[in-house]
Amino acid sequence: MKKEKKLQELLDSWEETYKKGQLTLWIFLALQEDRKYVDEIKDFVVTKSGGAITCEEQSLYRALRKYEQIDVLDFELRKGNKGPDRKYYFLTDLGQELFSLFVKRNIKLFYSDEIKNLLNL
Amino acid sequence: MKIITPNLLKFAGTSFVLTAIFRFCLSYGLENKILLLSVTSAVLYGITMFSAGWFFGKRDWMYLPIYDVGFRFHLATYLTHNAVSELWFILGFNSRYEIIDPIHITAVIWGILLFIHFLFFLWTRKNTINHLDKDDLFE
Repeated sequence: MKKEKKLQELLDSWEETYKKGQLTLWIFLALQEDRKYVDEIKDFVVTKSGGAITCEEQSLYRALRKYEQIDVLDFELRKGNKGPDRKYYFLTDLGQELFSLFVKRNIKLFYSDEIKNLLNL
Repeated sequence: MKIITPNLLKFAGTSFVLTAIFRFCLSYGLENKILLLSVTSAVLYGITMFSAGWFFGKRDWMYLPIYDVGFRFHLATYLTHNAVSELWFILGFNSRYEIIDPIHITAVIWGILLFIHFLFFLWTRKNTINHLDKDDLFE
């Protein structure tokens, strides 16, 4: 019991560190699928990460404004069901290129046979 | 690329109104020889301007963390304060005991300090991409 509790605490601590910096990747993944507005991005992140990554709406808006500022993201206005027009975000060419390079350098390495064996996948 | 943010505009508007209230109290106090009003309004003007900068600056950082070492808010303060002060004299709202020279001298000295702040702002830009801190871009 004591060991299980310690293991859980260690896992929580590691995951907390690991999850920092994950939001960008998940936002970019969401926008790889299609143009999306904020609620759709949030749903995608929560659903596809199996609830492992959660994000407050304010944090998401702030992140999107930052990516827009650095030209990796843009949006188009589309009519919503009711109320004001919705911002549908998409990756710019720069954003696409950035995403591809990031995946190539940081994600693909997990798919080599050697690493897959080590991960017991 | 955004530099003029909603909170900066709100701060500029607040600064404009506060400066107009300050100038009114100052001129009224001098005209009617109520020294306490002139002194109190100056102190309150300083406190409220600082508070407005703090409030809108914090909200602005939450909205979009533009790394400008406070230069945009400083510039907005400089422009609104001096614009209102100049207009106050041009429109003849000043007390007969006020002269415009201190306004100009203040604008020049403050302008030099603002320019130094601008140089500092330029120097910090090397650590930014589109005005955002390189170390704080991704979540």
